[in-house]
Amino acid sequence: MLRFLARRLLIIPVILIGLSLTTFIVSRLVPGDPVKLAAGPQARPEQIQKLAEEFGMDKPLAEQYLTYMGGLFQGNWGYSISTKRAVGPDLLTYFTATLELTLVSTLLGLVIGIPLAIVSARWRDRWPDHFSRFISIGAVSIPVFWIAIVLQIILAQNLRLLPVGGRFDPRAGFPDTFTGMLLLDTAVSGNWQAFGIALRYMILPAFCQSLLVIAVVTRQLRGDMLDIVKKDFVLVARANGIPERTIWTRYLMKNALIATVSMLGFLIGFELGGSVLIEYVLDWPGIGQYALKAALLLDFQPIMGATLFIGCVVVIINLITDLLYRVIDPRIGFN
Amino acid sequence: MAKQSLDPINKIVAEFQAGRINRRDFLRLLGGLSAGAAFASVPAVAARAPRMNVAPAAAAQPTPQLMIYGGAQDIASLDPFDRTDYSISAIMRQVYDRLFRFEGGWPQPVEPGLAQTWSASEDASEWTFEITDAAVFHDGTPLTADDVVFSYQQTLKAQKQRSSLLAGFLAPEGIVAKDSKTVVMTLTTPYGSFDRLLAFLEQPIVNKALALANEVDGDGGAAYLIDKDAGSGPFKVTNWQVGSSYELEAVEDYWQGWPGESHLSGVVWRKTEDVGTRKTGLLAGDFDVADTISATDIAEIDANATTFTNVDYGLLGGYLKYNTQSGPTADVNFRKFLAYSFDKQAFSDSQSGYVKLMTGPLPEGVPGYDAALDPQYSYDPVKAKEHLDMTEYKDGGIALDFVYVSGLDFEEAGGLILLAELQKYNITLNLVPKNWPDIVGACTAPETGPAIAFIFDQFPPLGDTWLIEKYSSKSWDRPTGGSFQACSFYKNEEVDAKLDTLRVTVDPDEAAKIVAEVQTQISEDAPDLPLYVSPNIVGFNKRVKGFVYAGDISVDFWRLWIDDAT
Repeated sequence: MLRFLARRLLIIPVILIGLSLTTFIVSRLVPGDPVKLAAGPQARPEQIQKLAEEFGMDKPLAEQYLTYMGGLFQGNWGYSISTKRAVGPDLLTYFTATLELTLVSTLLGLVIGIPLAIVSARWRDRWPDHFSRFISIGAVSIPVFWIAIVLQIILAQNLRLLPVGGRFDPRAGFPDTFTGMLLLDTAVSGNWQAFGIALRYMILPAFCQSLLVIAVVTRQLRGDMLDIVKKDFVLVARANGIPERTIWTRYLMKNALIATVSMLGFLIGFELGGSVLIEYVLDWPGIGQYALKAALLLDFQPIMGATLFIGCVVVIINLITDLLYRVIDPRIGFN
Repeated sequence: MAKQSLDPINKIVAEFQAGRINRRDFLRLLGGLSAGAAFASVPAVAARAPRMNVAPAAAAQPTPQLMIYGGAQDIASLDPFDRTDYSISAIMRQVYDRLFRFEGGWPQPVEPGLAQTWSASEDASEWTFEITDAAVFHDGTPLTADDVVFSYQQTLKAQKQRSSLLAGFLAPEGIVAKDSKTVVMTLTTPYGSFDRLLAFLEQPIVNKALALANEVDGDGGAAYLIDKDAGSGPFKVTNWQVGSSYELEAVEDYWQGWPGESHLSGVVWRKTEDVGTRKTGLLAGDFDVADTISATDIAEIDANATTFTNVDYGLLGGYLKYNTQSGPTADVNFRKFLAYSFDKQAFSDSQSGYVKLMTGPLPEGVPGYDAALDPQYSYDPVKAKEHLDMTEYKDGGIALDFVYVSGLDFEEAGGLILLAELQKYNITLNLVPKNWPDIVGACTAPETGPAIAFIFDQFPPLGDTWLIEKYSSKSWDRPTGGSFQACSFYKNEEVDAKLDTLRVTVDPDEAAKIVAEVQTQISEDAPDLPLYVSPNIVGFNKRVKGFVYAGDISVDFWRLWIDDAT
């Protein structure tokens, strides 16, 4: 296992350097002048020059890349040419919001998706199965931002049950945080009133984001279960009089989960980097919005920072998934 | 050049109309005048009218409440020496005081702020400002001329966005404090409208001691102030959640007092970029005010029992810029053909009528605006054909690019209207949506500039600045290239010479004459089609009181209060 881990850890820097190089080249090849844009429309030539020098944008591209990477190895994520804010602290702030949303939505997706898959497979081609398939196909085929808007109008505007967006009630005052994840921080500090508010603000974005997880988990798990249910060991279990519920929830589930866990790693990575629309419509201040804004302004260092940051996290999640994969099914091994 | 010359009654009436005096105080002041009790002190009373509202008859005063504001733009920085985005300016106005107020109504009047009186030398090269002795920073430090000097000098030294226009007239060493209450600015180029320029630029006056105590590498405290305040305004910063919400708390004993029947206890700026979410938030009661509402949502918001909208027009003008140096649009007759081919009314209809069509290069509200300017290029297919026939493209068979900002439906609508018309002449119009940075980059030089670009411009309400930045060839024919505002790449030596003269003309009559001449010449050359002024649409919950439109996308929180009784 240690050799496996070491081998995978050694590959990570190579992946990240490749990612940084690709991002750098792509972000610098697109047309547009980030310095002129940041300097503003009435900027005088000397202002543009000063800004270019300040951010090293007057240097050759190779030198710019090496300088950036040199800074990165020293823990300096650079500064936004547009806002002049340090990228590192901003990344942490935005990322923790996205991470919190991703974890809750994934958990919600599993809580809904796994029972749906079991019900669907257990009563194949009967109404629970039809219902489950309707949900999973609908969840993956209807644009999630559209669902967000519809729910926003129904639940927030008409019924006034939930807020339209944001992370916390501005009238209640933003709670003190230490990880940046409001649910965790308010729970740990015992501030249950703030926890309740944060939870209320979490419901809509988490539900919308969980739809993809629900769809994928339900379909994947259902299919795997239907494959496994035909295996000999299931027949043997039934012949031995093991209750049907135990067969489905323990024997079948454990074997069928392998592919789902693998898929889950991919899904979490996707949610971390690809929740821009949910963040935009429901005003969730996450890293997707941060990266999008940087991209639209050609704000080079935040673009690099956000890409590498998300890249790092996805690589780590994939590593964890690979380990988990092998824990669930020891036959796969570490070689 | 004394600026405060209104007689007492007119001044009180003006203060009332501008919303700085409530009805009760207005009647009280008029009553006081008629009794002759305070006649001699009226100018001073009027100048400080807001302070008189500090202790109005208290019985019916609504309790100050927190207001939730849904803002379309994030507030990326509070650095008082850097950016001037509308969201940043909106917050800066509340946290810092400026030399002048520029929010008393529309068109924007220049009014005293920290500068109680000001004057200029005959040639307008030296300006003297007398600073109030009443202003106090949030930490209790009195605001002095030294703070004013520091704030302007630091902005000029930093050479960031805020300094762009100012640097054309002023150098750091030209700003001195004669004593603790007097600031003298000696201009590098004499400028008769310098007070108006300062009013527009709204330089926040920073607590020098606090800024310098937190200075890093000679930045004047800029890094520290990026999310903190060192101001003397009616609100102070209490909580700053990057990318999410920004909280201000009212300064109860604000030195200028509060102009309304009550005031806000605080404001939370909830960044809400999606226009649909801002509308829904307003209707759901999550927001008390939401800015940049879509014209298509006005009816729904107005139909709701608890909300309403305010639609006004400011200085944000939309232009179709023609590349005058390259391709078919280099031919003035072809440009006139394009101008006469554009159906402005159809465009207005496409925006539900919420546009103010422009009559020339300057929009209404800018001195020099001419409603009767000729030619104005109203839709006229006959004239369009006449001009097309004077070009080598009379048989069509050509294609032009129409570049607009990706995702902006109203810009695309403009392109579609022109596309439909040009098809009649066998001319293809390629609608090319681009990201804003791409357009900025393309507008650097004529070689890369698009044939037609839909561009929005906003400048100070100063005719000279407006014209120079867009129509002087010096704004693009230079080593660093042009800005998007000069994307017509217009070059007329006669216009250039007049604009050069205009910049240094102090006599207002002479300046007005040059502006008129230049406008006519530009209109004749048709380097662009001035199309429309965009509306500023703000949605309100009806419990929000005290709004006065002042030409801005956002609102002045200082004037507002919440009254649940109505």
